[in-house]
Amino acid sequence: MKDRSVEQKLRGEAGELLVAGKVDYIVGFERGSLKFTTTPLITKDGNDINRLVINPFITSNLAKFLMELKGRVGIVAKGCDSRSIVSLIQDNKVIRENLVILGVPCSGIISLHKLEKLAARDSEEIRDITREDDRVIVNIGGEDRELPAAEVLFDSCLACEFPTPKEYDILLGEPRAATISQNAWKNVKKLEALPPEERWYFWEKEFSRCTRCYACRNSCPICFCQQCFVEETEPQWIASVPRWQENFIFQIIRNIHLAGRCTDCGACERACPANIPLRSLTRKMYDIVDDLYQFKAGTDKGLAPLMAHYENTDPGDFIR
Amino acid sequence: MRGITDISHRKGFPYQGNVYLPHMAVIKKVVDETDDTKSFHFSFKDEKLQREFTFEPGQFAEYSVFGIGESPFCISSSPTERDHLECTVRRVGRVTNALHRLGVGAEIGFRGPYGNSFPLDFLRGKSLVFVAGGIGLVALRSLIRYVMDNRNEYKKIDIIYGARRPSDLCFRYDLDTWEKSETVDIITTVDKGDSDWKGREGFVPQVLEQVAPSTENAVAVVCGPPVMIRLTFPVLEKLGFTPERIITTLEKRMKCGIGKCGRCNIGNLYVCRDGPVFTYEQIRNFISKEF
Amino acid sequence: MTDKKISKNDIAELLADWNREFTVFTPKLESDNVSKMVEWDGKDTDFLKWYRNTLVPCKTLFLPSMEEMFRFEKRAEGHYHLELPSVEKQKRLIFGIRPCDAKALTILDMTFEDTYQDPYYLSKRTNTILIGIGCTNPYDSCFCTALDGNPSNPTDVDLFFTDIGDEFVIETTTEAGNTLMSKSKHLQEVNQTDETRTREAREASRKKIIRRLDTEHLRGKLSTIFENKDYWEGIAAKCISCGICTLFCPTCHCFDISDEMLKGKGRRLRSLDSCSFPQYTKMPTENPRGEKWRRVRNRVCHKYVFYPINFGVIACTGCGRCIRLCPVNWDINQVLNDLPDRV
Repeated sequence: MKDRSVEQKLRGEAGELLVAGKVDYIVGFERGSLKFTTTPLITKDGNDINRLVINPFITSNLAKFLMELKGRVGIVAKGCDSRSIVSLIQDNKVIRENLVILGVPCSGIISLHKLEKLAARDSEEIRDITREDDRVIVNIGGEDRELPAAEVLFDSCLACEFPTPKEYDILLGEPRAATISQNAWKNVKKLEALPPEERWYFWEKEFSRCTRCYACRNSCPICFCQQCFVEETEPQWIASVPRWQENFIFQIIRNIHLAGRCTDCGACERACPANIPLRSLTRKMYDIVDDLYQFKAGTDKGLAPLMAHYENTDPGDFIR
Repeated sequence: MRGITDISHRKGFPYQGNVYLPHMAVIKKVVDETDDTKSFHFSFKDEKLQREFTFEPGQFAEYSVFGIGESPFCISSSPTERDHLECTVRRVGRVTNALHRLGVGAEIGFRGPYGNSFPLDFLRGKSLVFVAGGIGLVALRSLIRYVMDNRNEYKKIDIIYGARRPSDLCFRYDLDTWEKSETVDIITTVDKGDSDWKGREGFVPQVLEQVAPSTENAVAVVCGPPVMIRLTFPVLEKLGFTPERIITTLEKRMKCGIGKCGRCNIGNLYVCRDGPVFTYEQIRNFISKEF
Repeated sequence: MTDKKISKNDIAELLADWNREFTVFTPKLESDNVSKMVEWDGKDTDFLKWYRNTLVPCKTLFLPSMEEMFRFEKRAEGHYHLELPSVEKQKRLIFGIRPCDAKALTILDMTFEDTYQDPYYLSKRTNTILIGIGCTNPYDSCFCTALDGNPSNPTDVDLFFTDIGDEFVIETTTEAGNTLMSKSKHLQEVNQTDETRTREAREASRKKIIRRLDTEHLRGKLSTIFENKDYWEGIAAKCISCGICTLFCPTCHCFDISDEMLKGKGRRLRSLDSCSFPQYTKMPTENPRGEKWRRVRNRVCHKYVFYPINFGVIACTGCGRCIRLCPVNWDINQVLNDLPDRV
C-alpha cells in the first residue's frame, strides 16, 4: 500500500521535529475508534508519534486546531488543509514561521457512507478498504470487489484543484495532478436548474433537519471569530432556536462571511450529522468569487485577503 | 439512594399549575441607584396573590420582559414588607436593558420564589457581620432589612460595604438610615473617592481586616464580585470565623431556575436549586471550583 | 400476561388498528441516512427490516428541539395577556423504540419530575405508549450492556417485540401494554419453539456488542482526576465544541428559554441547548466554563458522577450516537476506559 511508506516517512519527520525541539506540538491523524475512521492526534509527546497514520479516511481539516494551540506546530496537511492554512496566514491569524507544514499529496478521501451504499453493506461487514489509482478495492468476507473511486470519494475531493499542497515545508509522497470531475457540481447544477420557488422548498426540507449543532462552523478552520454573530444578543441577528428559516439564514450569512477565504474543503458537509448538502452553498460561493475576482482562496500566502482590499479594476456595475 | 436534597416544601405558587408560567406584576416605582443600576418596586396584578405571597430572604425569582426574555434577580425587599416586592437590576445585556426601559405601570412576569434562603433559624440570636461589595449588597439587602424589622432577635449587627467609586454605592437611602440608627454599626468605603467623598477609602477585604469585627457568637454574610468574595474568605478566617459561620450567595447564568435546564451546576449541585446561599464550608467541599 | 406473537406481514394492519386510537410514530429514513421517528404515513413498513437504532433519538418526541411554552399578546402599551398552548388530547404510540432510548426516558424522568413537575415533558410522557423492539444487529459503537442495558431488554416500555425472523414475539410489561394487547387482532399463541428462538435471538444480539466499559470504579477514578488540568486539556484537545454529542444524546436535557415577538404577538420557546457551547455559562463579568477542557470535563462528569450522586443512575445508556456522529471521533467509551487508576 503506497500510503504505508508515506506514513513511515511522516512518523520519522514528525519524531525528529519534536526531538529537535523545532515544534511544540505535532498535529496529525491517528486511527479512530470505529472501523475506517481517523481522529486528530494533537501531541507534545514523542512516544505518540508512532500512532500517526495516512490513509483514505483522514477527514478532518486539521488547520482548525491552529487557532487554539499556542506555540510552534508541526501540522499534517492535505492539499485542502494547506490552502486553509494559507487562508489563515492571509488573514494574519497564524504566523508562517511558527509552522512546519508536513504536506501530504492526497488522492481523495473516501466517504464511508457512499461506499456502504454502493457496496450494499454495513462497515462492520467490510474487512478492508484500499485505494488503487482510480479504483477502490473492498474486501467483504474474504472476497475483493472493485468500485470506481469517483463514486465513493467525497464530492469536495472530486472538485479538488490542488491535491498537492502548495504551501509546505516537507512533502511526504509523490506530487499528484488534479483530476477534477464534474460530478462535484452535481448538487449545485441541480439547484441552478430549479426555479426559485422550488429552491425554497428544497432548502426548507433540508434545513428542517438542522439542529443548530454548529458542527459546520466549528469544523471550519476559517470560522475563527471569538464571538460568532449568532451569539450576539444586542442586537440579536437570528434566534437561537432551530427554526428552518433561521438555520438557513445562518448558513447563508456564514458563507458570505467566508467569501474569499473558504476553499471548499468540504469539512462542514462532512461534519453535518443531518446530511445537509452544505457544499452546494460553499461551492457556489467559491465559484462566484472566482468569476468576479479571479481569486482562488488559499493559494498564495503573499496576497491580501480578498474582502480586505480593493482594486480599481474590481467590478462596480452594481453600484448605482 | 437519591442524593438530591428534598426541597418539596418550596413548591408553592406555580401559576395555573405550570411552573414555567409567570405571574403578572406591575411596576409601581422605579428608583435610580447608580448610573447603571435601578430598583423596581412592583406588586402582583392578582391582589389575593400579593396578600398571600411569601418568600424568605436570599431567594430569587425569574423576571420576564415579555418578548425579550427572562432573567434571574434576587428579591431585594424583605418579606416583612407586605404590599410590594423589589428587585435591583444592573444594565448589562438584552433583558436588563429592556427592563431599564420600562416605567411605572409596565407589566413584567415573575416566576418564583426559587432557591434556598439564608438560614434564619441558625442566624437567630447571633451577631451578624455583613460584608458586601458593589452590587453584592443587593443580595444581602433582603436579609438586612428583615433583621432590622426583627431587631431584638439578633445581637450585634455590623455592616461593611464598599464600592469602586462613590457613585457606585447602592441603596443610599438605606445606608443613611443604617448610619443614623443606633442599633447597627455600618462602615462604608470606596476604592477611590472623589472630591466630595469624606468617608473611608480602601478595598472591602482590607477594611474588613482593619475593622476586625468581633467573632463572638457571630456569623459573617458575604456577597460581592467573585474576586472580592475570594479575597474576603481568608480575611474572615484569619479574624476567627469558622467556615460554617461564613455564608455567601453565588451568582450563575440561569434559565429555568428550577434545576432542569442544567446550566447553573457546580458539580452535582444546581445553584438555582441547592443554592444560591451556601456556607464557606460547603464551598470548600465543592467538587469544582467553577463559580 | 402470556406472551403472544405476530407475523411481520400483519404489522401494517396492527398499526392501522392502533392508528384509530393513537397517533402512531414509526422509524423512517430521511435524506439517505438520517433516521428518526415520524408520524406513520399509514402504509410504510420498511422499518421492519431495520436492526438497530435511529440516528435521531426518541427523546425529541418528548423534549423537542423547539417547543412553545406559552403565548403572549400585547393588549396595550406595557400590558400583556398570557395563554397556554392547547394540550394535545390524542394519545400517542411510538412503535420501534430501542431499549437504550427507552431506558434514557426513565433517566430523563428523574430530572423532569424532581420537585417542580415539568408540564410539557410529563404530559407527553403520560400520553404516550411505548412499543419497544430489540436490536438484532447493534452498531460497533453500541455499549448498552456496560450500563445495565441489553439490546433485547423488555423493561421501560409497555410492549416489547423480539425479532425471531418472520415473526415478532410480544411481551407485555405494563398494564397499558396488557390492555392494548387484549384489544389487538392478528396475535397468535406462542409455543415452546418460539420461546427458544426468542431466547436465542436475545442472546445472539447481546453477544454482538463488542465494546466494554468498567463502570465499577468510574466515579472514584473521575473524582480523583477531576482537578488535573493537564489531563483534561489533553483529552479535550481535539473536541471542536459543537453540540452534536449533546443534541443527539438520548439522556442530555440541557435547554434554553427564549422569547420572540412580532407586532405585539409573541411566544416563549424552549429549545435544546448544549453544555459544549462556549457561551453556555457566560455571565456579564465572567464565564466559569469558558475554557474548552472545563466543558469537556463537566460533560463527562455530569453523566458519570454528578447524575449518579443526585439520582443514583449513570446518565448514559450506551447508545453510541455521540461516538458515531462526532466529527472528530471523540470517544467517551475510550476516554473512560483509559482513565488512570491513580493520579
